[in-house]
Amino acid sequence: MQLREKLVQDCSKSPLVPLAWQQVPGATQANIYPLIRKIDTISSNSYLIETPDVICLIDPGGLPDQGIQLVAAIQELRDKQKRPLVIFLTHAHVDHFLSVQHAPAATYFKDAVFVVQETGADALERGDPFLTQATMMGFTVSPIHVGLKLLSLKNPAQDGFPVTYHAENGAAITLTHHSRGCGTGLAHVDISFGSNPLITLYHTPGHSPDSISLRIGRLFFIGDVLFAANPGIAGLCGWDQKALIKSLAEIRCLTSTGDIDWICPGHGRLIAAPDAARTFEILEKEASKLENIAEFNAERAAQIAALGDDCMVAVNELFTIMSGRLGYVSYVMEELGEAGVAEEMARLIKSDVIDELLEAFRLFSEDHHSSDKVSVHLALKAGQIMGKLDRSFAKEDLVHIIDPTLVTRAEHLLSDYTTTLRGFCPPDNRCECDVNGILSTLTGDLSCSRCSDDDVLSSVDDDTAFARMLASRIGSQPLLADIELSTSFTSQGPVFVDRDIFSDLMIYLLEDLVGIGATRITLSTAQERLGTTVKIAGDTGSFVFTGDAPIKGFLLRLASRAGGVLSLQDTKGTRAYVMTFDRA
Amino acid sequence: MEITTTTQDGLTMLAMNGRLDTTTAGDLEREINNQIGEGNRKILLNFTATTYISSGGMRVLLATAKKLRNNGDRFGLCCLTPEVHKVLKLAGFTSLFSIYATEGEARAGLQ
Repeated sequence: MQLREKLVQDCSKSPLVPLAWQQVPGATQANIYPLIRKIDTISSNSYLIETPDVICLIDPGGLPDQGIQLVAAIQELRDKQKRPLVIFLTHAHVDHFLSVQHAPAATYFKDAVFVVQETGADALERGDPFLTQATMMGFTVSPIHVGLKLLSLKNPAQDGFPVTYHAENGAAITLTHHSRGCGTGLAHVDISFGSNPLITLYHTPGHSPDSISLRIGRLFFIGDVLFAANPGIAGLCGWDQKALIKSLAEIRCLTSTGDIDWICPGHGRLIAAPDAARTFEILEKEASKLENIAEFNAERAAQIAALGDDCMVAVNELFTIMSGRLGYVSYVMEELGEAGVAEEMARLIKSDVIDELLEAFRLFSEDHHSSDKVSVHLALKAGQIMGKLDRSFAKEDLVHIIDPTLVTRAEHLLSDYTTTLRGFCPPDNRCECDVNGILSTLTGDLSCSRCSDDDVLSSVDDDTAFARMLASRIGSQPLLADIELSTSFTSQGPVFVDRDIFSDLMIYLLEDLVGIGATRITLSTAQERLGTTVKIAGDTGSFVFTGDAPIKGFLLRLASRAGGVLSLQDTKGTRAYVMTFDRA
Repeated sequence: MEITTTTQDGLTMLAMNGRLDTTTAGDLEREINNQIGEGNRKILLNFTATTYISSGGMRVLLATAKKLRNNGDRFGLCCLTPEVHKVLKLAGFTSLFSIYATEGEARAGLQ
C-alpha cells in the first residue's frame, strides 16, 4: 500500500486531509499540510504551515524518510515563493526532531531557524542524550543550534512588549510574551511573521520540561501531553507530575472555550475539542495517581523488557488454557443439547483476539531479540499487548465457569506488569505465615469440585440455573482430582512469605506436574539448618526428562517475590521443585 | 508449519512440524477436511515436532472430533510433547480425545 493511501485510511476520521495543502480553520492566509502517522514510538506527526511570509514546520519527526518527504513539500513551496523556514519543536525528544539530522534532509534543514522552549533548546545545543531520550531510544544526537529560545525561566521576557527577532535566514519573528493572563495561567507568547499574529505558543511542561503547545487558528498542536500519563511514558527523564497536572488543567480550559475545534497531537489522528476536553479530565486523574513513580530510564526499560518477556510466557500459557477450557465447556454443552449455553460460554473470552495478540508479541519479541534494538520498544509492546489482553476476557463471569485460579493468576500477571511499567512496585505482602497451613488449604481447594453433587441436584428445577451449574462443573475440574497426593509437613515455626504469591506459585508448580502427566504427587515441608524447604515432586508420566531443565523466568521471579528461592531437580521418572525460605 | 500426510492400513496420519498457532491452525484444518473429504475417516495427529498449540489449534481438534463420530470413525493424537500435553491436559482436552504416547500404540489403538 502506498504511504499516501495508508495515511488517508488511518486518518479517515480526521477533518484534515493528510499530505495535502488546505486552509487552516480560523486563520487567514495560512495553509496546512499534515503528515499524520499511526502511533508509534519512533516518529511523531509533522505539520507544515505556510503563509505569505514564512514556512513553519511543527515537529520534523524522527525518521529519515519523513525528513525527505517534508523537504520535498517545502521545496515545492519555495519553488513558488522563496520564504524562510522556521521549525517549532513541541518538545525536544528524538522522535520529534531526529529526521533533521539524517542525510540528505540534514543539509536542507541547516538554514532553518529552530524555535524551542529554553530548557529543550539548551538540551539540543549540548546534545543531551537523556532529556532528548536519545539514550532511551538507542540513538546518538549531535548538538543543534537553536535560533530562538522561548519562554525562558531564567530570564523571563517583559510582558506585553512586542520584540522582533531577525533571523539569519531572513525570518522576522515578532514575539509578545505574557507570563500569564488571557484566561490561562500558562506562560505564553504571541508570534507573528508579518502584520498578523499567527501563533500563540503556551508553555505546557510535564511530559518534558520544554513541552509547548501551539494554537494556530482553530487548531491546537499539543505535542505528547495526551500520552504523558501512559505506562512507559510517565517517568521519562524530565517528566514532572505536578507540572503535568497543571498543564493538563490549563489545556483543558483552553480547549473548552469554544475557540478551538481540533486538537492536533504529536502522535495519531486529530481529536475534536469536546472529546479532548473529556480526555484531559481523565488524564488529570490518571496523572494525579502517579506520585513518586520511578524514573523510566534505559536501565529500567531493560529490566522491564526482560520481565515482559518472562510474563508473556506465563500469560500465553494461561490464556491458551483458559480459551481451551472454555472451548471444552462449550463443546460438551453443545453435545448435551445446550447450544445456547455453549454460545454464551464461547463469548466469555475472545479467543481469536487473544491468539492474534499472543502471536503479535511473539513475532515482535523474536524480531527484537534477533537485532540490536533498545529495550523500551519491547517493554512498551508487552504493556500494550497485556492491556489489550486485559480487555479480552470477561473475568467476573469466567470465574464462575472455569477454575478461578486461572483467571485470578492471569489478572495478577497483567496487573503486576502494568504496575511495574507505570513505575510502581507490585504489592509486597510478605509476613510471617504458617506455610503448612497455606499448603493444606491450597491442596484441599485444588482437590474438591467447586460444584458439589448437592449443588447440581438443587438446581434441576431451574433450566437456566442447571445449565450454568453443569457448565461450571465441567469447566472447573479440580487440578488434583485424579492425583494420588501424599503430604508430609514437618517444618516448624512461621516463614516470612507473601501468602498470595506463594499460593499462585504452588499452583503453577502443581500444574506443571499435572500437565506432564503426573499421577502421584508428594508435597512436603522440612526444617533445614538455614530455613524451611517446600518440596513438590511428581512422576513424569510417559515423559523422560534428562538433566535439569531451566526453570521458567517468571517462576523464578514469583519465587523471589514470595520470599524464597526455587530450584528444579529432574531425575529419571521424577520431577521435583524445591522452594527454600530463609528462617523468619 | 509443515504437515506430512501418510495413509497406511486405513489410518491417515498427519505429522506436524512447527507451531500450531493462529496462522497455521487453518492449514491443519484444511488438510484434515481434505482427508475426510476423500473418505479417510481414521485420523491420527502426530505432535512429535510440535511444541506449541494455541486456542485456535485446540478449536481445530474439537471441530475434527465433531466430524469424526460416526461408527467406524477414529480420531486420536500421539507423541505429544510435554508443552502441548500440559496445555491440553489443563484445558480438559485429554478426556475428550484418545491420546497415545507413541505412534505404534496409536496405530494399534485406532484400528
